Amino acid sequence: MRAFDYHRPATLKEALSLLRKNQDARPLAGGQSLIPALKLRLAGPPALVDLGAIEELRGIRIDSGTLAIGALTRHSEVASSRDVAMSIPALARLADGIGDRQVRNLGTLGGALANNDPAADYPAAVLGLGATITTNKRAIAADKFFTGLYETALRPGEIITSVAFPLPKRAAYVKFRNPASRFAIVGVFVSEGAGTVRVAVTGAANCAFRARAMEKKLASGFTPEAIARIKVPPDGLNSDLHASAEYRAHLITVIAQRAVAAALAGK
Amino acid sequence: MEMTGEQLIPVAQAAAWAALNDPEVLKDCVPGCESITRVSDNEYDVVMTAKVGPVSAKFKGKMTVTHSDPPRAYTLSFEGQGGVAGFAKGEANVALTPENGATRLAYSAKATVGGKLAQVGSRLIDGVARQLAEKFFDAFNRRVSGG
Repeated sequence: MRAFDYHRPATLKEALSLLRKNQDARPLAGGQSLIPALKLRLAGPPALVDLGAIEELRGIRIDSGTLAIGALTRHSEVASSRDVAMSIPALARLADGIGDRQVRNLGTLGGALANNDPAADYPAAVLGLGATITTNKRAIAADKFFTGLYETALRPGEIITSVAFPLPKRAAYVKFRNPASRFAIVGVFVSEGAGTVRVAVTGAANCAFRARAMEKKLASGFTPEAIARIKVPPDGLNSDLHASAEYRAHLITVIAQRAVAAALAGK
Repeated sequence: MEMTGEQLIPVAQAAAWAALNDPEVLKDCVPGCESITRVSDNEYDVVMTAKVGPVSAKFKGKMTVTHSDPPRAYTLSFEGQGGVAGFAKGEANVALTPENGATRLAYSAKATVGGKLAQVGSRLIDGVARQLAEKFFDAFNRRVSGG
């Protein structure tokens, strides 16, 4: 075991000051990516600042047409929340399909977004609903948040505090998952809201992205058939031992159509 | 992992060639590179930290320039040890051709990653390589055009 300092502050202010004092310290949310990396000795930060005891980062509430979820809210809490089920059932179902039960009981919304794994589920929902990410410093639109492979608009010393999801008329998330890791090989989140349609794809590229050609078609007719012929080009898509870029490109069209059908069926 | 690509470098061929052979320039442009030290005419010691998501691994290795054909082409071979994280080795062929006062750089690279990194990160290796290449050329183009 490699020695490191462990802090568990009770307030956000205290956490930020600890991170400011030690630039190499890493904030710890649910620890479902960082702790395995530490165990494998693939990371060795001198200190961890555990955000798990900070009450102000938790909770789910609906106000003025948005669903606000605290950054440290666990996947299992989102999956079983009445407020989420009533307002954006697709989000509850997405949370219920992340990883396995152990991951869902510890992993958090803010941790998943800050980590920005290319195959994570939450980035698709945040982008597919046009959510706003609030940090201790500012509010960041979903479209500006995901910038690359494990990279986000967050700056050092910046912590996500909550995420506000606008309530859509209908939405759905469908993923074609890897049976072992349950990560998305391709996952598509679609939503139809006040005059806008969003289609966000995860698992297929360096980070989640919007399929704008599909959005345009769906805006004039929200049916699976409308996008049956829209192909996302395979250039720049991921190719690994699980799926080639061409296969992922093919899957995006198939899964997006299923997502539209699921949204229409209210499932 | 195999990767090919092309970039338009906004300077003449001779200047692009000089920059590609300047350890200072390479150090500043290779993401996470801490030092490049020339140990002989065509050999360099390299120290770099690869930071990808939760992972942070320091690599120490050697870079060798072979088949140098100034100012048109060279082959870079590299081999690095990342301690417990694993190793990386590979080769990149780089070719420069003049194009309207600028330079067209074409590259093809092959790399193998082994050890724990490869075990847990196999789904990410192509993406990481793509992102490293993008960042390198962004920084390189800014640097040579004096930006």
